[in-house]
Amino acid sequence: MARLYVEDWSPEYGAPFESDPDTLPSEVVVDTAVEMRGAWEPLPGRDDGVRRVAFVDGVQRLEARLTLDDPDAGPLPGICAVYAVGATVWDRTVGASTFAEIGVSRLAIFGDGASPDFPVVPGLEYTVEACQARDLASFQALLGGRRARTETALVERIATADCFVVKDGRIDDTGPLHAVGYIKSHNRTYLEPPQSRVIAALRAGERTPLFGTTEKFERYSWYVRLADIPHGHSWSGIARLEVSAAIGVERARVIADRTAALLPLAAMPLHLDARAPQNLVPIAALEKELRRWLGDEGLVRRALRTAIHGAPAGVTA
Amino acid sequence: MTATQENPDTQLDVQTSERVGRVIGIGHTTSQEFRVVLDERAYLAVDDLVVVFTEVPGVGTLSTYGVVIESEATYEGASYESDVHRIAGDYVEGGVMAGGLQPAAKVRSARIAVTRVDPEMWVAPDPGAEVFRARGIERDRALYADEMRRPLAVGRGRDGEPVYVDLDFFDGTKGGHMSIAGVSGVATKTTFAFFFVRLLTGHPELMGPSAANTRVLVFNVKGEDLLWLDRPGTEFTDVDAASWRRLGVEPTPFALATPGTRAPRPTAPGQPTVAYWAPPRAHAGDVLMPDVSGRSDGIAAFHWTPREFIDEDLLQFVFTDATDNRNQLPFVEERVRSQLKRLAVDVLGAPGAVVLRDTNDREGGQRAVHSRAQERVIRTLRDLADEIGEHLEPEDGAEPDYAWTGRVQGGTVSAFMRRLHAASMDTRLGHLVRDGDSHRIDRRAATVSVVAIQNLHELAQRFVVGALLRETFREKEETGQRWPLSIVVLDELNKYAPREGQSPLKEMLIDIAQRGRSLGVLMIGAQQSASRVAPDVLENASIRVTGRLDAAESDRAEYGWMLPSTKARARLLKPGTMVLGQPAVPVPIVLNFPRVPWATRADEVRRDADLDPFRGLV
Repeated sequence: MARLYVEDWSPEYGAPFESDPDTLPSEVVVDTAVEMRGAWEPLPGRDDGVRRVAFVDGVQRLEARLTLDDPDAGPLPGICAVYAVGATVWDRTVGASTFAEIGVSRLAIFGDGASPDFPVVPGLEYTVEACQARDLASFQALLGGRRARTETALVERIATADCFVVKDGRIDDTGPLHAVGYIKSHNRTYLEPPQSRVIAALRAGERTPLFGTTEKFERYSWYVRLADIPHGHSWSGIARLEVSAAIGVERARVIADRTAALLPLAAMPLHLDARAPQNLVPIAALEKELRRWLGDEGLVRRALRTAIHGAPAGVTA
Repeated sequence: MTATQENPDTQLDVQTSERVGRVIGIGHTTSQEFRVVLDERAYLAVDDLVVVFTEVPGVGTLSTYGVVIESEATYEGASYESDVHRIAGDYVEGGVMAGGLQPAAKVRSARIAVTRVDPEMWVAPDPGAEVFRARGIERDRALYADEMRRPLAVGRGRDGEPVYVDLDFFDGTKGGHMSIAGVSGVATKTTFAFFFVRLLTGHPELMGPSAANTRVLVFNVKGEDLLWLDRPGTEFTDVDAASWRRLGVEPTPFALATPGTRAPRPTAPGQPTVAYWAPPRAHAGDVLMPDVSGRSDGIAAFHWTPREFIDEDLLQFVFTDATDNRNQLPFVEERVRSQLKRLAVDVLGAPGAVVLRDTNDREGGQRAVHSRAQERVIRTLRDLADEIGEHLEPEDGAEPDYAWTGRVQGGTVSAFMRRLHAASMDTRLGHLVRDGDSHRIDRRAATVSVVAIQNLHELAQRFVVGALLRETFREKEETGQRWPLSIVVLDELNKYAPREGQSPLKEMLIDIAQRGRSLGVLMIGAQQSASRVAPDVLENASIRVTGRLDAAESDRAEYGWMLPSTKARARLLKPGTMVLGQPAVPVPIVLNFPRVPWATRADEVRRDADLDPFRGLV
């Protein structure tokens, strides 16, 4: 009879550092003639007065490392993890932001495709997931995939012509949604000279012309400078945005203009955050709120231990 | 099994009480203080009263009552001060409205000081417990009004409901005296004192059968502000009148009842009366004119005759300077006083005057004698001083009479005479002692006797205060009856009972403070700064009231009965708002009292058609 154990190890020990969502695309076809042919120049942003802007993001956390001790098959690794996804909705008509659609999910992931029985943890609802591999990185990839799926579902649910969505990270939806992916870090430029030179020429509130890319599906993308940073290099304060090409060039242009006008407003002041200005204020606040929703790590771990090992001494159920 | 669980009305009022929020569970709640996070549609202001019910395992429901001592609000989710710009809605950046970009929750909360736990078991309220505004019976419990045997409404709390004083702690049953402190001009100390007196006399059911005979003695020491208690004031409004009625008293001024003046109107039943007294104007010859300028009618002049001066031992109140006690003046004064008492004999045909004559030198032991030639008839204080001088400092340079001086040093005797002569001048005490018919203040004439001493020299003011307090106190000592009450209202108490030094006046005030309670002599003392008043006097005051306080003053130990938050606010109190402390309620309560129906200054006197404009001219 296999028994389940919670390891004393810190759950994050040995976990790979944050996997960057903007990994290098291998074969990318870039079309620089989507919006502007010939010589590129910076384009000013334009606020079209969209009523609501929703910022969507998620956070995740490993909560415990598990070992399923099977007398026959040997030890099987697993993890307990949690992720939360939600939105900050900025209602520009009243000038106030609220958190919306916050959801928390807990996963118990086991390697080797196993999905053993998982005990009931009072107040914490775990879904058992089987992972074919048995290394931590794969577990985390599975976790990240679930989270991304939830984020995309949320974007699909709330994005309308009246509610424009800025999703932290790349977009995964191919449909004509009023939603942009917001990418903070740049491992390489999509642009080659001479178009790439216009990035250095951007000032805060300006964007590059649209360019088309093909990665899994067709997208339009553009760069925006969020803030003029004293002593900054040409890429500091730059964010890349992308939208599904299904929305059409004309609407993509309106959206691109809108982001160039509005996102600099949401940029974090430089002195407040190491990730400023790219870490947008509504997203930073949302992440903080989502982490709060994850619950206290120590309490969760204690509840897990109690459920899996039985009540610790001194605690009466 | 608990008392409260079986007490059905503990939970009864919850139905009618309004829920305002929940006890905050971040950080610890304590049995002394806790915080409340407010519901979106509720509020709590400072001084509001709340109640929380806590289930104590094995005991039952505990009711915790409290008063709001601070109201707070914050943005939850803001880490930096500049976040507020991004949270609030009117932030413009680069010409575009960027307000509200950062989400945050506005959180309003209140800090509560516990006033009472019922049953008395000091357990902190549960975090998350519902908090209700205390109304009705719960409000009375929060303020201990349910435990007061004789509650007298002396003002209204922030919720407009009456705030009570337990009379048992004023009239001497369990405690006595009242001390009122506050900055002059805005603290409305005297007005509150009279408001209180007026309420006392308006509640015979609380004061017992002798209520009508309550006597109040008050000295007008500044301006002539207290000489209008019988005149309707212009400031009084219908709102004030309604407020008075809410406190159970029909607002009327005092009815004039100075002896020798005709009452202007028949007085309403139960209406208290007032009589005004003033010293005679100096240098007015034989005519007795009261020394006031604001009004000419309804004021009687008073003075003492040499006979009364001697019989009442008033000489001691000539030496009331705090420095007088450092030398041996009191010793000489005592000797002189007893000699005068022994030797003074009335003079036939000169009422009030005396001559000093040996007891075996009186024709047949008569009570009054004919004055002889060469014999000084003592008609004034100056005569008395001259007569005493002959015994203490004989003109022929002979040794002083030891029967009068005792064996004190010559310097002391000279100092005594110097002060006595100085005091007997008309500009000081001289005009307060003269022969003729008795013109003493008759405190029985009216409920309130106002003695206008504002124009007197400080020495004479202390003399009058001392003489009248002694008279009041002695009267009560002799009858041994606590009822009816004798109340003394004394403004600028620090002048008569200063913290430093000794004087017969201060000793008497301490005596009143300590023993007056059991004799029915009660003091309402008022002062700008309690810290300058003798502690023995202050500490005996059961009921403490303050109006606006000076910032430096409120930090002193004398105000230890106030909460830090109350102290901070005491600097900002408006006229008509007072902080009340009493033994029956362990926290200070802020109250408002309405304006009074009488004029508190000459220019507030209402010139109504129903008042005869020619009164006083005929």
